[in-house]
Amino acid sequence: MILVVDAINRHLHVDVLDEMFRLRARVFGDRLGWDVDIRDGREIDAFDALNPAYVIGLNDDYEVVACVRALQTTGPHMLSDVFSDILQGEPPLRSATLWESTRFCVDTDRLTMSGRGPGSVSRATCELMIGSLEFARESGIEDIITVIDPVMNRVLKRSDNAPCDYVGATVQMGKTKALAALLDCSEERIERVRKFAGITGDVFVDEKQFVKARAVRKAKAETRSDMSEKIIQYLTEQIDDASDVVELDAALALTEHMLEPGSDARIGHR
Amino acid sequence: MDHAAYAGFNPVDNSIHGVVTYPDAWKLHYVEQAFETIDPTLAAAATSTSVIDWHRLKPTDDFQRVFRDAAEFGIGSTGLTIPVRGAYGDSGAFSVVRKCSEAEWKQQRAEIISGLQMRAANFHDRIMRQGRSMFFMRQPNLSAREKEVLQWVAAGKSQTDIGTILSISTRTVEVHLRSAREKLGALTTSHAVARAIGMEIIYPL
Repeated sequence: MILVVDAINRHLHVDVLDEMFRLRARVFGDRLGWDVDIRDGREIDAFDALNPAYVIGLNDDYEVVACVRALQTTGPHMLSDVFSDILQGEPPLRSATLWESTRFCVDTDRLTMSGRGPGSVSRATCELMIGSLEFARESGIEDIITVIDPVMNRVLKRSDNAPCDYVGATVQMGKTKALAALLDCSEERIERVRKFAGITGDVFVDEKQFVKARAVRKAKAETRSDMSEKIIQYLTEQIDDASDVVELDAALALTEHMLEPGSDARIGHR
Repeated sequence: MDHAAYAGFNPVDNSIHGVVTYPDAWKLHYVEQAFETIDPTLAAAATSTSVIDWHRLKPTDDFQRVFRDAAEFGIGSTGLTIPVRGAYGDSGAFSVVRKCSEAEWKQQRAEIISGLQMRAANFHDRIMRQGRSMFFMRQPNLSAREKEVLQWVAAGKSQTDIGTILSISTRTVEVHLRSAREKLGALTTSHAVARAIGMEIIYPL
């Protein structure tokens, strides 16, 4: 399943983003050996401060298994400011209908969902590609420029999602090589990847349901032993009964408050 | 669409710009009620970089407060805001609003969203160029490829021809053209060619 997190809903998904930054640290730092800045086990760079949109892949247990980040090419982005070597001194492409996608990664250690798809490209990888193409398309974006390494380039080709072209040159970046590929966000491309992976139907998670499921799990996991069953039940009900995001927010805040050490947990007084 | 609104910030001369098509009575009411301090569509555009469909803001009290009043002035609450981010720390927000059913909105949204993205950026660029220092900073900086593509357009070649000549895909030609149009502040390719010749970026033929 795919979840999109941007500035509007990020307050609901703070823990999801945290998991995502840890995933990026594991993949880009530990596994691929990219030259990235890792602090406290999280890989966060300057572009994460610009409120990008994240397309996040989740497994059946609602854990983060994949992610990618979208930035507008009209504003600051990685090709213009960090990966400019790829462009060989040329100015970057700038267009309101062209997004840059970076930090595409999949947690291969944590894949629990039906495992590998055909041709050894995982289902999670395909789902993330479909999710990001569909999200871009829905936002009026016509093409994506993506900075990738040769491994990702092969993954794209193998999943019937081959780039329609490349921009600039392939250059050495730390231990690996990097290149910039162009992908159109056409229905045809999405259809091809869907067909390749055998994925039909909506890939996006129901956000409300997702927040509830995570909150209920968290409440159960963190509940202190001195809290009565009744209170836990009440909190779970509050979360379950929330009819919109605002109510859900309130229910989560209440749960958070109740779970805080030292809170007297007297719901009747509220 | 019933109405459009633009708000932009130029960090070089610290100026704020606003252009709206709303009726005067609503503008007056909006200012009197100081809605700009609570309007969630403005707040959302200040942070988000992706499109904000207003249905995501609807459950908030502030949205209800502003748009309940808006309804009295005949203004709908189905709409979206496109945040624009420029390369020089400049930012803008372009919103459109329409009074219609959710189903109608969904269909229309899909048809116009791509064009709106382009127009929002173009509009923002025009406003930003009004500032003297921004005008000089924003001189179009075209890549060799973009110039090459424009030069071939000026020579009368089609996009397919250009793809063949330059050994790139037709889609890539289109991407370079779109970027060139944006950098030149042009809405159409002919407009971009005219500008590029006028600015001596390509040769007249």
